[in-house]
Amino acid sequence: MDLAFTPEELAFRDEVRTWVKANLPTELSTKVHNAMRLTRDDMQSWAKILGKKGWLGYGWPKQFGGPGWTAIQKHLFEEECALAGAPRIIPFGPVMVAPVIMAFGNAEQQQRFLPGIASGEVWWSQGYSEPGSGSDLASLKTRAERQGDKYIVNGQKTWTTLGQYGEWIFCLVRTSTEGKPQTGISFLLIDMKSPGITVRPIKLLDGECEVNEVWFDNVEVPAENLIGEENKGWNYAKHLLAHERTNIADVNRAKRELERLKRIAKAEGVYDDLRFRDEIAKLEVDVVALEMLVLRVLSAEKSGKNSLDIAGLLKIKGSEIQQRYTELMMQAAGPFALPYIFEAMEAGWQGNFPGGTLANAPLAANYFNMRKTTIYGGSNEVQRNIVAQTVLG
Amino acid sequence: MDFDFSDDQEQLRDAVRKWVDKGYDFERRRAIVAAGGFDRAAYAELAELGLTGLYVSEDNGGMGMGPTEAMVTMEELGRGIVLEPLSQTLITSATLQTHAPAALQAAWLPRMASGEAIVVLAHQERAARYQLNRCTAQASESGGAWTVTGTKSVVAVGDQADAFVVPAMANGQLALFLVERSANGVSTQAYVTQDGSRAAEVVLSKAQAQLITLNGLVALEEAVDIGIASVCAEAVGVMDKTLAITVDYLNTRKQFGVVIASFQALRHRVSDMKMQLELARSMSYYATLKLHAPAEERRRAMARAKYQLGVSMRFIGQQAVQLHGGIAVTDEYIVSHYFKKLTQLDMTFGDTLHQLGEVSARMQETAGVFA
Repeated sequence: MDLAFTPEELAFRDEVRTWVKANLPTELSTKVHNAMRLTRDDMQSWAKILGKKGWLGYGWPKQFGGPGWTAIQKHLFEEECALAGAPRIIPFGPVMVAPVIMAFGNAEQQQRFLPGIASGEVWWSQGYSEPGSGSDLASLKTRAERQGDKYIVNGQKTWTTLGQYGEWIFCLVRTSTEGKPQTGISFLLIDMKSPGITVRPIKLLDGECEVNEVWFDNVEVPAENLIGEENKGWNYAKHLLAHERTNIADVNRAKRELERLKRIAKAEGVYDDLRFRDEIAKLEVDVVALEMLVLRVLSAEKSGKNSLDIAGLLKIKGSEIQQRYTELMMQAAGPFALPYIFEAMEAGWQGNFPGGTLANAPLAANYFNMRKTTIYGGSNEVQRNIVAQTVLG
Repeated sequence: MDFDFSDDQEQLRDAVRKWVDKGYDFERRRAIVAAGGFDRAAYAELAELGLTGLYVSEDNGGMGMGPTEAMVTMEELGRGIVLEPLSQTLITSATLQTHAPAALQAAWLPRMASGEAIVVLAHQERAARYQLNRCTAQASESGGAWTVTGTKSVVAVGDQADAFVVPAMANGQLALFLVERSANGVSTQAYVTQDGSRAAEVVLSKAQAQLITLNGLVALEEAVDIGIASVCAEAVGVMDKTLAITVDYLNTRKQFGVVIASFQALRHRVSDMKMQLELARSMSYYATLKLHAPAEERRRAMARAKYQLGVSMRFIGQQAVQLHGGIAVTDEYIVSHYFKKLTQLDMTFGDTLHQLGEVSARMQETAGVFA
């Protein structure tokens, strides 16, 4: 038992810290530290900087051109990026579809798709949810019919995050209606420039268009874009979820945002109000406890002993914390969180924000936006079902 | 970064667990409670396992082990809601070993390690609640000999212990003393506490005392922090077993023709209990691994840990009762005893609200495990 990182791990962290400091543009970190709106170019420029260094696919093994880091190194990398104020890596390419292509795609698919993901050149989107398939994802209906050497895809996906920028989309599609719903699903890669695809952004409660509806109307997809075997897509998607364990907790971002909460509370004069301060203290304990939980999972991964089946707990606690810090930031600003000036969340805006503190401009929007976290990625109620299953059988 | 236990630590855990399972079943515990809440014979069995000398150096007849071994041991004792206060022995042996003059160490540590002598911390006062720097007991010196006058409350096995570690004011400064129970001017009034264990009011009236250290507040804070880490580990064992008992019950009890584990309203509560247990276990590790950190960092860590443990203990205790239904509020059924133990542990060495105040007062700009 030892809480300390090894000298090698600390040296690694210093290396990452130095590199991030030298390569993360200040205009990006300023935006992130103040929760200002990020453009497509903002997000992709950081992805390309990482890609050039070979760190965009930071979880990739060496054989696919990744750095081959340990679980703890990956965690330290994420932590350094988060604390420095780097934009979040858009996960759909490097974190989500790439591991599936590595594990189940053929050599041709790996050569064709992985380089564009590793460099950050190609923007990927995720096509899982449908209007009728939320938590019950396996009930999805978007149909892919095999005709010769291609599939004809018809249906609709929704909640496609940043899909308005997407160049490729990985989809779960129905290729069979026989047997259990899970056994008729295939994993298909689709070029979003294909005729028949329509993307419509959905305006959300915070005024932003973060997600989209994606329609497929007789879209032709070459059969060579099928990953693995037909009707095995559900297994591949599950494999993906199993490899997305600790980062779902987003504890490193929570640490950064807790610091921001304290700054805001001080600026708004509530940091020394004991009633408010105690709420920050509770959140601080939550963040430490979550971090310890994450470190326990990483340690178990490293040693292969004491394996911990607690991904559901990480998701539940991590999402609750994300909601809580945005809520407290908004409450700290009080009435000055209420003015809704869309442009004030833009970097370089020259107007006067009511109360004179531009830091308050995005707080309510952030709070509204974060309500998604307990809903997406398997709602927290679904997660509780999963946790209960492991405890009760 | 490593949360695995060594083979030796696993063996220690197995040995303690075996003793709890075979040597300290619910019937024996019930008999001990009926007889007053403390059994010297059971304590002697802990000594035979070497546990009373866990922190004592090998030179003084102990095992010279560290916080992780203490944690493993306390988890297992918690699992069996063992009444005999090993955590007191951990606290006082560490305190003497770190702060007492050599002669005092030589006089007590070997006998503590062997289980022959029991020394407990007698620090609580009516007006101080959980504040360690508030102390009305007075010490005075005359010709190189010290006496202490004051009243200490809810002292574990106060009428059975052989000596007390007592904070008292010496010339306006908090100092720590060792007072033997057999000394003139010591009287005790014993009772059982809510969890069935034994405690006493200890009244000292010009009682003969031996100085441990004049740097008493530093030593007392260390002592209490060892106590906090110990209670956290014990609580993890209690909660782990409480959840296991509850899970068994849900998978056995039938209502409406099905096992009640099939109801989602109950399953979600079990999930929430598991959450609280794992957060608590994480923070118990954190407390144990921060015990040797510099004082300020250590105190902050203990407050964070004990706050989380307090929240978890109350939640798991209350939910275990609710999920069992009526059977859980009977004295006959085991789970009520786990619930009461959790309740008592929350109020030992600072309850949830006190610790929240400590966390709040000690907050810094940054946060996290390493901050």
